[in-house]
Amino acid sequence: MLNRMHDEGHNTTAVVISWTLCLRSLCTRQKQAKSREFVKKERSGLRQMACSVLFHCPCLNPPTDPPPPPSQASSSTSNHPLHTLFFCEECDAIRCDRCVSVEVSAYHCPNCLFEVPSASVRAEKNRCTNTLSVVPSDPPGLTWDTQSSSISLGAINEPPFLLFCNFCRWDSSELGIKFDKPTGLAAQLQRHEDSAPEMLEFERLKEHFATYLRAQQSSSATSQQSQPHHRSHHTSLTVATAAASSALARDIPGVSKHRRKDKDRGAGIDKEELPIYKSRIESASLGTLGLGADEEDVEFLKKLDTENGIEDVARLEQRWTGSWQGSIHSRDLRPLRMPLHSKKSKRCPVCRHILIKPEQKTQSVRYKIKLVAANYLPSIVPLFPSLTPQGLTAAQKKALSTKGSTMSVDEGIDHPLVSMHAGRTYPFQLAFTNPLYDPIHVKLSVQRQSLPSTSSSGTTDSGSTKKVPPNFAINLPTSSFPISAYAEAWEYEDEDEEEMLLDDEALAIGGSGISSSNNTGSRKGKGGSSSANIGVIERKANVTVVGGEVVVGKEGRGDVKFNMMVSYTYRSDEPSQTTSIKGEGKTRTAASEMKTFSFWVVVHLGGIIVRDREKDRDRERGSEENPREG
Amino acid sequence: MPPKPDKFKIHSKAVVCQDVDLKGDITIGAGTIVHPKVIIYAMIGPIVIGTNCVIEEGAVLVNRRKEIMRIGDDNIFEIGCRVECPSVGYCNTVSTKARIHHTVRLTNFCVIGAGCMVVPSEDEVLEEYTVMYGKSTTRRVWTGEGKIQEMDLRRKHVEYLSEMLPKFNRLRRTEIH
Repeated sequence: MLNRMHDEGHNTTAVVISWTLCLRSLCTRQKQAKSREFVKKERSGLRQMACSVLFHCPCLNPPTDPPPPPSQASSSTSNHPLHTLFFCEECDAIRCDRCVSVEVSAYHCPNCLFEVPSASVRAEKNRCTNTLSVVPSDPPGLTWDTQSSSISLGAINEPPFLLFCNFCRWDSSELGIKFDKPTGLAAQLQRHEDSAPEMLEFERLKEHFATYLRAQQSSSATSQQSQPHHRSHHTSLTVATAAASSALARDIPGVSKHRRKDKDRGAGIDKEELPIYKSRIESASLGTLGLGADEEDVEFLKKLDTENGIEDVARLEQRWTGSWQGSIHSRDLRPLRMPLHSKKSKRCPVCRHILIKPEQKTQSVRYKIKLVAANYLPSIVPLFPSLTPQGLTAAQKKALSTKGSTMSVDEGIDHPLVSMHAGRTYPFQLAFTNPLYDPIHVKLSVQRQSLPSTSSSGTTDSGSTKKVPPNFAINLPTSSFPISAYAEAWEYEDEDEEEMLLDDEALAIGGSGISSSNNTGSRKGKGGSSSANIGVIERKANVTVVGGEVVVGKEGRGDVKFNMMVSYTYRSDEPSQTTSIKGEGKTRTAASEMKTFSFWVVVHLGGIIVRDREKDRDRERGSEENPREG
Repeated sequence: MPPKPDKFKIHSKAVVCQDVDLKGDITIGAGTIVHPKVIIYAMIGPIVIGTNCVIEEGAVLVNRRKEIMRIGDDNIFEIGCRVECPSVGYCNTVSTKARIHHTVRLTNFCVIGAGCMVVPSEDEVLEEYTVMYGKSTTRRVWTGEGKIQEMDLRRKHVEYLSEMLPKFNRLRRTEIH
């Protein structure tokens, strides 16, 4: 809209419009406060972000390809939180919102909740026949059913009828809209709608191109006879579809034009021969519509300064849903029929299997088919137990608080705003939750990071020396660990509390599990690791908490983000399944077999606080620095 | 200043529930319905309420001025509203939880929308057919369409209430006008 204004060189109007836009949408206290907060956070220099695990969707690329390194900004588009992902059972693949194909399942009116069959949607121009949406003087979003009230004395149900709003007592006699009967308002409003400027303009355009399009149509019809395999479904009968098909057949630069065999192009009119289209509205007369910059607009501007003068300008929310640039006066607003909403269903792009299908009934929010990734993939939650307020030293807490961090005690356990100091080692935990009804074995492998200037440094110990130190190194258990099956909560009460001696970590908490026989392999955790932090820490119900360590390099900067491949083996669902013990590895019972599925995740652990050289020197002069955090 | 002694003049055709909190010099006209849990305090000056008014639960009518607070006929004060204005005309609607200051005078056919606070800093007389509505209490003028239906509806409302309320609530019996 603004571009048009600039093109026409009507700077005053541009100023008017941008000024009103400013008034309405920018000068709210809320927005100012929010932007201040944002700036403060950025300026604090502290990279504080909630640690998260995002799942990578290959989006139709071959799934074995590793995802791009997460430090690149382009990788962020293919990483999604688990709750936004779908899973196709046929293809055995993750699908995300970007790769699914969406189609409309049903249409309905958001106010009267009538379901509109798809056939009549087009006839009604995507709007409800019963409900109107915009009462000009009401706040946005207020909808109301049409009410008719007679203006004749005494009698109630006699014409003429008006639209009436209970909220503000507005009625349509102010706009001059009257009805003869209280029902079927859509048809009666049709008359008004048809006389709207955009409809008239469109009619004129259609007429202008009609001859050209009909010629195209006839020429392509003749060519169709000579080449029957062309345009098998070319049955354009109306001008509109002819326009669409000729738009499809237009020249595309860079693509060689398909020459039609018939040389008879003289039957139709060439595009260049069309007369120049003259718009219905002359530019000079735009002033009456509030689009020009002449006397009327200046007067209008002056009036805006007076008290309540701004009320005469139609609010942005009232105007931007219209498809055409209308007048900005609030007296010119018209009640519009409510546009319909649609319920969508999603399909896998490869096998066309339906992933999401909502119920037909408008009122119900449930789904008939719901193949979400959370039901198939284990969810991963990162934890930082050592950085919760209890675990912090007094000095650390003070440092974090002065820099404006907010770490609430409740959130501290689950999603702390984590910042790690360069040169230190932090243990962290990943909690895996198994959604399947069978136990699974999970194996993790961290992708080797490729730093721009160094050779790759992967999951190596922190002790090895390198020419250029990497940002960080990750230590995680590399052997597979089991996770118990998901079971209903009531099942646990009957189970005997089995003592599960977990590993030597002080945080070991005993819990009951269904498949107790799986303990032997995982109980001791990573026995060979030097640190007690790595390995399976806790197993409770269908959750397994695995510990790892992140060693932040001395020169580390940026965010601690790494790709990790998670593969898990599970027993595929077969009716003749027997409960065999997982620890034996791959078994083949009657009809079930072990399957493996792997996917990539991006683990984001937080930001690195860059080491301050000068502070270090001062500190070194003073006391000895303790590099390790308990 | 000691509160005025209670003096209630309630018309025999008015329906006033027993649970109403009345204080001061109050006159209630014929046909008026006062729901339970209403608070009418004629703290300093008297309050005179006209005929066929409906005062719903939780409404508060307070008169802190020496002059008489006159409320006309056919008004409706909805639940939770608070009215302190010195004069109210006829056929007004004060909606739920609206608040009207003592600086305003309502004339006729005004509609104060739900939750609106009408608190101008200086004395103001609202014109006829004013409608106040919305979070920021915008105002506009009603064309008056549909007022006949509304008056009709109100009349039926009063009739219905005067039939039904006594069946389920105890009424206050006081001196006859």
